[in-house]
Amino acid sequence: MIRVELRKQTFRMRTYIALGLMVGIPILITLAVEFGRRPRDNKDLFALASHSGINVPLAALTAASSFLLVVVVALFAGGSVAEESGWGTLRYLLVRPISRSRLLASKLVVVCLLSLAATVLISLSGLIAGTIFFGWHPVLTPDGTVFSQGAALGRLAIATVYVAWCMSGVVALSFMISTITDTSMGAVAGAVGLTIISTILDAISSLGSVRGWLITHYWHAWEGMFANPSTTSDMVNGLLLQLPYVVAFLAFAWWWFHRRDILS
Amino acid sequence: MTSTIQTEPTTATAGQSAIALVKLTKRFSEDVLAVDDLSLEVEKGMVFGLLGPNGAGKTTALRMLLGLIHPTKGEAYLFGQRIYPGIPVLRRVGSLVEGPGFVPFLSGMDNLKTYWNTGGGRMEDANLGEALELAGLGTAINRKVRTYSKGMTQRLALAQVLLNKPELLVLDEPTIGLDPGEIRDVRDLIRRLAEHGATVLLSSHILVEVEQICTHAAIMNHGRLVATGTVDELIGSSRTVFLEVDDVGRAVKLLQSTTGVSQVEVEPLGISLTLNGIERKDIVTMLVKNGVGIETVASRHRLEDAFLGMVEELPHD
Repeated sequence: MIRVELRKQTFRMRTYIALGLMVGIPILITLAVEFGRRPRDNKDLFALASHSGINVPLAALTAASSFLLVVVVALFAGGSVAEESGWGTLRYLLVRPISRSRLLASKLVVVCLLSLAATVLISLSGLIAGTIFFGWHPVLTPDGTVFSQGAALGRLAIATVYVAWCMSGVVALSFMISTITDTSMGAVAGAVGLTIISTILDAISSLGSVRGWLITHYWHAWEGMFANPSTTSDMVNGLLLQLPYVVAFLAFAWWWFHRRDILS
Repeated sequence: MTSTIQTEPTTATAGQSAIALVKLTKRFSEDVLAVDDLSLEVEKGMVFGLLGPNGAGKTTALRMLLGLIHPTKGEAYLFGQRIYPGIPVLRRVGSLVEGPGFVPFLSGMDNLKTYWNTGGGRMEDANLGEALELAGLGTAINRKVRTYSKGMTQRLALAQVLLNKPELLVLDEPTIGLDPGEIRDVRDLIRRLAEHGATVLLSSHILVEVEQICTHAAIMNHGRLVATGTVDELIGSSRTVFLEVDDVGRAVKLLQSTTGVSQVEVEPLGISLTLNGIERKDIVTMLVKNGVGIETVASRHRLEDAFLGMVEELPHD
């Protein structure tokens, strides 16, 4: 069942475009840094990208994770059930001898695999493009710390998995909306809307500790691994924070899909 | 309105039949009662037509039977097993629900495979050869479904229905949107499958279709069962005749004492009666001989009667 779904969702134009974008963005960043004017005093991840090939995926992860990656994973998750409604195939999947739970579960697994693939592609593409253009050097971070290639690579791998996990709340929300609506765009809009609202609220410092509960609050916490002294406590918070969102959204998705009358 | 009363199915008798609906009810909202206390039994081997105008609740009833819609009240059984979503007994059923549904960017073949693999069937076990032959799509089977015409999509949907060599076919409006040639093909196919022992439940709003294909029929309107019985009972030997005469009282008296005539009823415009073993011309001769002037003689099918009765906007009580 998972294999069928994976085949159906992977080999299609939309997935090619989405994943192609994930490969393209780091390349675009690399080219922009290579051919743009080199700033001397700027010390953000972009400005530092030319120091090492491993700097590029860090810049790409920062850039993509706040919006583009959100849209892509929301597209994967939002389409999974709603699109079947739209095609008229949902009723034919559900007249097969298969429980609704199993159908949802296999769809969710495929969404997660594709979302993970999207995140990994950002890092991988950045790493390859960066190394080609800027070489295999130790990494220089915004606060002046230097990491050896090996240490940086390990941290990049953890950062990639962390960013992918940070998307889980968005994926769960999109997936939930997908079980309710018949249009996948609604699910995408819902997820992107939540992200935007969360980002806006997060920027209002007077909200104080409430901001710690916002879904986007710890999305960039992995950057702490590349600081001196490196901090990971925010990453732990970030990992844990997604859990209540994921559980709540998925629980509702399951509950709703089980009691739903399939009229499409 | 006349209706042939059958023994209503109960939980106890549900085991022997292919399909049993017991007091099935679906209320979508306060004012939408789609299916109202529907009890129906389809024995193995029957070709059963569910007839009714659009919006009568046919599709909702079929969807409840397949586990797509949760009944508000009542139960649905397939081969004696009470239905819940995704119940394994669905393996023995082939269904067409409100037209075909395919993934547009997959080929016809990949769509069939996707359908079959959902629920864990191995492709080798599928009745693929026969299904493909029936669909008659040739090399187009490897083209994306997006490029198919409506008729091709419908044929692919019927191929999909046949993949599991179903013992029971549940077909919702199987000929809707097809051209006359395609309609004939589909009707022939259903008859052929029935001859090979499959049980068929099809819904239709086309009277002729049910007359042509079905052995049994039920008529629904406003979510309720209006009449049920064999198609012969409903339309065949016992024909209803409608007469307009100059002397209604005398005609009724004469008709009631004639053998082979039953159910003589006075209607606003004339008299309706049912013939059993007597020809229409004999009735006319008899009445004329006895001095009753006849203005109109029209034959009416009971099914048509029932059907027309439904189509008139009855108040929904």
